[in-house]
Amino acid sequence: MTALVTASGLSKHFPHGGLFARGRAVQAVNDVSLAVARGETLGLVGESGSGKSTVGRLLLGLLPPTAGTVSFEGTDLAGAGAGTLRALRRRMQLVFQDPYGSLDPRRRVGAQIGDALSIHGLLPRAGRAGRVAALLEQVGLDGGHAARYPHQFSGGQRQRIGIARALASGPDFLVADEPVSALDVSVQAQVLALLADLRARLGLAMLFISHDLPVVRHLCDRVAVMYLGRIMEEGPVATLFAAPLHPYTQALLSAAPSLHPERRKTRLLLQGEPPSPADPPSGCVFRTRCPIAVPACAERVPVLRGEGHRIACDRV
Amino acid sequence: MMRRLPWGAIAGVGLIALLALVAPWLGLANPVAMDVPHRLAGPSGAHWLGQDEFGRDVFARLVWGARVSLTVAAAAAALACVAGTALGVTGGFLRGVVELLALRAIDVLLCFPPLLLALLVVTLLGPGAATLIPVLALVYLPGFTRVAYAGVLTARSQDYVEAMRVLGAGRTRIMLRTILPNIGGPVLVQVSLAMASAVVLESGLSFLGLGVVPPSPSWGLMIGAARATMTQAPLLLLWPCLALTLTILAMNALCDGLRDAVDPHPAYRPARWRLLDSLAPGLLPAERAVLDVRGLTVEIDTPSGPIHPVRDLSLQVFPGETLAVVGESGSGKSVTSLAITGLLPGAGRVTAGAAWLDGTDLLRLPEERKRRLRGGAMAMVFQDPGSSLNPVHRVGAQIEEAIRAHRKMSGGRAAAAAITLLRRVGIPDPARRARAYPHELSGGMRQRVMIAIAIANHPRLLIADEPTTALDVTIQAQVLDLLADLKRESGLALLFITHSLPVVAEIADRVAVMYAGEIVEMGPTAEVFAGPAHPYTAALLRSAPVEDGPPPVGIPGVVPPPTALPTGCIFAPRCDRRLAECDAAHPALRPAGHGRVTRCIRVPA
Repeated sequence: MTALVTASGLSKHFPHGGLFARGRAVQAVNDVSLAVARGETLGLVGESGSGKSTVGRLLLGLLPPTAGTVSFEGTDLAGAGAGTLRALRRRMQLVFQDPYGSLDPRRRVGAQIGDALSIHGLLPRAGRAGRVAALLEQVGLDGGHAARYPHQFSGGQRQRIGIARALASGPDFLVADEPVSALDVSVQAQVLALLADLRARLGLAMLFISHDLPVVRHLCDRVAVMYLGRIMEEGPVATLFAAPLHPYTQALLSAAPSLHPERRKTRLLLQGEPPSPADPPSGCVFRTRCPIAVPACAERVPVLRGEGHRIACDRV
Repeated sequence: MMRRLPWGAIAGVGLIALLALVAPWLGLANPVAMDVPHRLAGPSGAHWLGQDEFGRDVFARLVWGARVSLTVAAAAAALACVAGTALGVTGGFLRGVVELLALRAIDVLLCFPPLLLALLVVTLLGPGAATLIPVLALVYLPGFTRVAYAGVLTARSQDYVEAMRVLGAGRTRIMLRTILPNIGGPVLVQVSLAMASAVVLESGLSFLGLGVVPPSPSWGLMIGAARATMTQAPLLLLWPCLALTLTILAMNALCDGLRDAVDPHPAYRPARWRLLDSLAPGLLPAERAVLDVRGLTVEIDTPSGPIHPVRDLSLQVFPGETLAVVGESGSGKSVTSLAITGLLPGAGRVTAGAAWLDGTDLLRLPEERKRRLRGGAMAMVFQDPGSSLNPVHRVGAQIEEAIRAHRKMSGGRAAAAAITLLRRVGIPDPARRARAYPHELSGGMRQRVMIAIAIANHPRLLIADEPTTALDVTIQAQVLDLLADLKRESGLALLFITHSLPVVAEIADRVAVMYAGEIVEMGPTAEVFAGPAHPYTAALLRSAPVEDGPPPVGIPGVVPPPTALPTGCIFAPRCDRRLAECDAAHPALRPAGHGRVTRCIRVPA
């Protein structure tokens, strides 16, 4: 499979403090390399502050990276001119987490879905209404609902509208940032099924950002686990979930509440809390909470090694 | 979709504007023609409102004065609105140098007292209506810029603005099509304020002789002139003041109405007044249960009539037991906890049922005794630890306060007790953390502090409403373990409200499944999850993703709105095992063996 979107050595540091306060930069993302192929879904999991949403924004070119490159079909986003970038915008889209905040409350949903068509001049004005109705039907809503306002829909329906808006420009790459975590579980399953169906029908490459491991397991082909801005482990969903190698992945899987707690063999409960990304530990960032850490872990940053199933730990 | 326009206010402002517009054709007396012999004459058939100090017709001057006053005010407000909003929006959206220039310039303007600023410009340019408009616009410009700027800062961080960027929309398009409509409300309010205050300021400047030049009539001039003859003809002062007040009131009403009309959300109408709640007598409490709720029904007033988000709900929580109430949004699980704790919002009330805490009926207690129970025998932990703690007090002090609200204890002993509690909930270095402010702690730490406050007075019952929903999984696991430990050690009864089935499986001894305001199934967690008796429980379990299970299946359809509940089984429209009888009558909870109950007629009684 050839990659559609490739990130290599991606870092993003946000300057801390005001104009005169020279604080330490928040290291949201550090040295992240990953690739997503057409028709493939890469799950990106991690806890809050792990930098997973920032990676999504970097891949879409919405944030300039501090270091590293993002390329879309071989075109470097940083080197692309305004015109090229604008054309690329059409081909990569974002689905938001919050179905309430991501739709403009004062405009009809049809107009918001149609924005992509008019911005990129994809259809003459006369054809847009029909296309908007078709998009609404594609995500399982009534085509006649285009004239309604966002507040007239339920959370699940709004999320479908958000997906329709992302699909309007005919993208090849979709970043879904926690698209179901604000939804009820019975609605969650419907939206996940919709995403899986669209991916299959449209051949979308998808980055699925989530903190919900079972959801990732069902939807994704591969998964990357992030902690404090770095990828700890990455591999095919089946092998990574069945036999996690990195101690953080093991802890994460064992901490997730389960419908069948009696089946869990060992419960690995992490102590303490993640350190601040403004002041990450030296060496391996996970070592302060790691059950198998040794003094040498503070010395050097472990590199992500391996083929297919990669892991960033020198102790395994 | 047409929205309700504020017709009353439109008519009021329209009438005033119309009067001013058609003044030349009304056949009024000449507003500048003097009639000195009849100076200060009272109202008469020829002069409805009397004559002023030069014998001029007061009514005619009032109407002609409106022309001048309103033109100046409206033009000034419009000019200030357009220029100020443009500055605020571009400054707030583009940031950087534009922001610096626009906002600092406005700050300098703001430093001048408005009257002084106006005086300065009028002195330089000479008095007259044409000078007044730009002067007043300059005075009101900073207000618009500030309001627009603040609105943009809020709006620009919204996901829907980000969504426009993702779509590739240019800056101008985002500013005009997305940001501007969303800051329209506050700007409209600012227009009404500016216009009303411009009328007043115009009057003031004219009164000082710096605005409209006599003998042209204006409300300000009239007030100024009437002041001199106040003792002889007090009515002369009344008329222009009355006109001014009515105009301003009408304008404020118009702007408020317009703001509501451009907002696509339905307007909130206040709850209807109820003199007396019809409280049905409850049943006698069962023994042993710490919390015993019987037949709880809650009513909430909404714009579309009263709804019943919780109906005929009964549950018991025993000492050392965890009962989880699980349901999706709209199931009524949180309303249940609010009703039990007596924290229902103003529009809600309990219309039937009883809730006994160790034999005391919580629902019929006077507010003062309820308050003493809360944080004492009955403690609560909520979802968002960030907003439940007071940001300006140290967490140690907040725990001490919780202790001393219920027990007499010296400051030193309370402080020591607070540190012991912090250690108990697993906070490392508790003595140092007690001196921390809430923002210095992480979300997990703050939730531990909330739990410390909750257990400070050895409660019999702990109500936890989604206590781990805002936390990361590794932290959630820690907090769930802590709650289980506390329950085991102190024998408190835990009522745990959540939407997460896996969390229920981890922590609850028994589970009550709620759907659209009622319990549809209740029983021991392991048995309910292993063999659900109600189709909704089964469907809910199928929709939860399990790592090593089949892919999740959603439940088709949506929860019925509380205003349109089905007459039969409320889950029937979405049920895959529906029978014809299901729609006939609303099923009661029936026993399903092993201490389980279910609200499904397919289960053999």
